Formats: sequence, structure tokens, C-alpha cells
Amino acid sequence: MSADLENDIAALLPRLRRFARSITFHREDADDVVQIAVERALTRAEQWQTGTRLDSWMFRIVKNAWIDEVRSRARRDQLFAPEEEGEHVGDDTAAAHQQRMAVEKAMSLLSEDHRMVIGLVLVDGLPYKEAAEVLDIPMGTLTSRLARAREALQELLSDRARNKR
Amino acid sequence: MSSIDDETLMAYADGELDAEQCAHVEQAMRADPQVAAAVERQRALRADVFAAFAGVLDEPVPARLQPAAAREEAAAQPRVRVDLLAQAGATPLPPRWHWRQWGAIAASLAAGVLAGALGWQQINGGDATPFGRQGDALVARGELADALSQRLSADAAQGTVRLGVSFQARDGAYCRSFKLGSTAGLACRDAGAWRIPVLAQAGEAARGGYRQAGSEMPATVLDAIDERIAGASLDAAAERAARDRGWQRP
Repeated sequence: MSADLENDIAALLPRLRRFARSITFHREDADDVVQIAVERALTRAEQWQTGTRLDSWMFRIVKNAWIDEVRSRARRDQLFAPEEEGEHVGDDTAAAHQQRMAVEKAMSLLSEDHRMVIGLVLVDGLPYKEAAEVLDIPMGTLTSRLARAREALQELLSDRARNKR
Repeated sequence: MSSIDDETLMAYADGELDAEQCAHVEQAMRADPQVAAAVERQRALRADVFAAFAGVLDEPVPARLQPAAAREEAAAQPRVRVDLLAQAGATPLPPRWHWRQWGAIAASLAAGVLAGALGWQQINGGDATPFGRQGDALVARGELADALSQRLSADAAQGTVRLGVSFQARDGAYCRSFKLGSTAGLACRDAGAWRIPVLAQAGEAARGGYRQAGSEMPATVLDAIDERIAGASLDAAAERAARDRGWQRP
């Protein structure tokens, strides 16, 4: 197995962590998912075809690591680690911080399918075609799922805004 | 609102449309403020969600996630004890072996040898061996078979069997991962028995706690799950329903 692949995976780590953060409920679980995914990717490096998108392949492994290993023992009770509550407030405006927390909270209330599709398309910015490949679904399913996920998320965010007033 | 559907507006906001389609949407946006507002809502949601997670990219990546750490970790993990099976007189296994090959090997070995080779200890002097032969397949017996048939993954640990995930394989059969002492495996329901396509030595949760976050199941078992799983693993309700149906294919 080549050092190139290791380097390429290392370069993807920030994006993999961000995606994992969007589909799990806890930052430690998110990192666990990424760690497991990296281990799995290296043990089956021969399954990756040079010339295909490494990011899509890695996102799929991250998704699977969550589904078949971490999810069953995932921390749900504590969405945000205590230190995170006050984090970034310094270089973040209070309003942006609130908005960030609101989105994370709303994401956690979505169904698994919806979190995945939002995590791939809106959080990472993957094109529809690649997102559909990661999720192993046809394009039509992807677009309708994405549309429903957005509606659900919009609903949750506007409910919250209403309740605050 | 115009005739443009919501999915098209969404695709426009996501930059997924070609030039001609874009022109069509933009014309509609100019003609109808409601269309323009709908596109704006889609864009705003996208921007908010993106911004909420963008900060993760700037965080330092923990060392344990680096491929070099994972490689060392994988090297430190005990490999499948197929070497012991080979010593026991079986044909050496190819590097990426398949359950059919396992079946052939299981058939050539007494279950006791197999269990012994995998480091599994006899349960409390009981005579119920956890593995047996059925045709050319390795199947679960005794406490292992009972646990696979009856217990739910969320049930409190009981006895020596620990259950992992349950899922439906592409061929429709239900499969469950399990650990028995230091042996881990995958069992799939077939013709009233739990066939075991994969059995491996589980990684120990050792190495000063560093390991704890990583994979508890050996990569061989995880690979076997990935190869078979259709969709997602079962949630608690679906697992209960499958159990109550006797793990019959729906």
C-alpha cells in the first residue's frame, strides 16, 4: 500500500471529521467514526480504484463505520461537550454561535437518512452525483430525499425561532 | 408560484443545473417574487448549515486519526488466527478468504479444534460447544445459538456472549455480529440455523486505553458485514420484530 494513499487520506481528514460531526451526535463519536474509517480504508486499500474519487470512497466508509459500529453505542445524551458551549465565542459573534448551535440541534433531530444527505450535500458540498454514489441510491432518490430533508430542517429551525420569540 | 417545482429550485440553489435550466429558473425568479424568495430560502439554509460546521475544518486533527497511527494500530491488532487453523491440519487460507473456504475448513476440523484454535475457552465446564458443523458450514450451538436467537443487542450483557449489530443481508437473511470471549464473528440465519461465515480473533481493549475509541470488532468481521449489509443495520424496534418472527426472512 502506498504512502501516497496515506497522504491523500490525511489530507481529507478535516472534511471527514466535518462530515462525521454532521451525522453523529457527539464530537468524540464523530472522531471515533473517522478513526475506524481510516483503519478500515487502510486494511482494504486494494479495494480503492485509482482514478476514482477518494473522497466519495472515504465518505462511504465513514457512513458505514457509523452505521455498523458506533451508532449502537453512540452518545446521544450530551449533544455538545461542555467545553464546546463556550468555545469560539471569542472569535465568533454571539449570534453566529447561537445559529451554529441551533443548526446542530436541528440536525440531531433529523432522521438518519436526512442527516446523511444534508451532511454530504450542504455541509461538505458534494455534487448530487457523488452524494448519490456515497449513499448507493439513484439520483432521483437523492434529490427527493434532499428536498424532504431540507424541508424538515427548515421546519425545525423555524419552530425554534418561533418558540424563542 | 410558477410551474417550476421545488426540486428544480433546490437544484438551482445547489448549482446543479445546466446553463439552459438556470436561465429558465432565473427568468421565473424575475417574473415571480415568490420564486425568487423560495430560491433565497434554499440558499440561506445551505449557507447556515455550511457555516454551522465550517469551523471543524480549522480544528487541529487529533493524532489518533492520522493514517500512520491507524496503520500501527492495525499492525498491533492480532490477526485472524488462521495460522493456528493451518497448524491444525487445514489447508492454508488465501489472504482474502471467503466463507465458502471457511466452510471447507470447518468441515475438515472438529469443532473443538476450531474453538481451541481460536482461543475460546469452554464455558464453565458445560458441555455445550458454541460451534458445530452442519453440512459444510460452521454453525452456532448451545449458548451462542440461544443468544443469537433470543437476545436483543440492547439487552444487558449476560453470560459470555455479547451481541453487536443485527442487519439484513442482501440475500434477505438476517445476520448478527457477536463476541464470545476473545472470539468475534458474524452469524447469518439460514434454514433454521445460525451459520457462521466469519470467525476471528477479537482485538483486546489494551494498550493503555488508547485503543478504546477504535474498532472493537476485528476488521475481518467488519469487512464481512460491509460485504453483506443491505441498507442500514436494524434499529431496536426492527431487531425486536425480526426476533419475534424467529429471524425468518420477511
